[in-house]
Amino acid sequence: GLRRCLLSMDIHHIEESFQEIKKTIQAKDTFQNVTILSTLETLKSIKPLDVCCVTKNLLAFYVDKVFKDHQELNPKILRKISSIANSFLYMQKALQQCQEQKQCHCREEATNATRIIHDNYSQLEVQSAAIKSLGELDVFLAWIDKNHQGTSA
Amino acid sequence: MKNVLQWSPPEGLQGAELTYTVQYFIYGQKKWLNKSECRNISRTCCDLSVETSDYEHQYYAKVKAIWETNCSKWAETGRFYPFLETQIGPPEVALSTDEKSISIVLTAPEKWKRNPEESSISMQQIYSNLKYNVSVYNAKSNKTWSQCVTNRTLVLSWLEPDTLYCVRVESFVPGPPRLARPSEKRCVRTRKDQTSALK
Repeated sequence: GLRRCLLSMDIHHIEESFQEIKKTIQAKDTFQNVTILSTLETLKSIKPLDVCCVTKNLLAFYVDKVFKDHQELNPKILRKISSIANSFLYMQKALQQCQEQKQCHCREEATNATRIIHDNYSQLEVQSAAIKSLGELDVFLAWIDKNHQGTSA
Repeated sequence: MKNVLQWSPPEGLQGAELTYTVQYFIYGQKKWLNKSECRNISRTCCDLSVETSDYEHQYYAKVKAIWETNCSKWAETGRFYPFLETQIGPPEVALSTDEKSISIVLTAPEKWKRNPEESSISMQQIYSNLKYNVSVYNAKSNKTWSQCVTNRTLVLSWLEPDTLYCVRVESFVPGPPRLARPSEKRCVRTRKDQTSALK
């Protein structure tokens, strides 16, 4: 699993960054009856063996899709989002080492879970999908934190 | 995880006979749900602990005021995520002492229960990274110090004999800030120094 991979990343400072913009971002999400990460069904069902691959895939989902699709005018929010994005880039690098050491194997379950999330995203108009995914960062960060106890500083 | 919705009466309607109705929504589900015990109530709070007991889901709640033949717009909360936002109660604190040390044993708080017969769930099971902030007050020197601990037992050594010490403990989980609720102050006196007693 990822336990040996994310050694130096402190999730809590990312959580604190997100905490400061969370209410504003979530207030912009007007589709309360739809979720992207589907809190329980998708993420909670991930097995320890698939944690590394799902983390890698979801980091890529945020870096390559969500942060790029989201258009933000408020400079304060923009600063926080780019700080979070930089932290995600850092985590991606850390995962790359695990990949090279063959510790981040992607099974079908992990790929399916990631596909569900991408499908949820594509069912919404891009801006709505991006703002909703940003609003669910607390779910993703709590999932990372819970699945990597003992790895953050 | 006891989650209570609270609100203030609308301005400018003092003296009017107001009642309130509450609904809640599980994020990702399809529709708003009624809370039957909070329909046409006059109090300004509604306990939604049962409805929000699955702490890994996220929720919204809303309330509207009704008076005479009128009713207000809905006032809606932001998205509420119990797992990250619930206030964590203090641990149980047990103290024992000898001449120069105090032993502290902490028992993690328990999750809110719908009814006493329900089996207890320790918050330690929910938050495996649960920590405690222990603050100790020396009544003689009027000084306080604190330390953060993860284990359940802690021994304070090199204390002054025959001195009153008071302890307060707060549970916390690293991550987004939450409201904290420290334990009641517990005090204990270290024993007299036996060597000086023998002279």
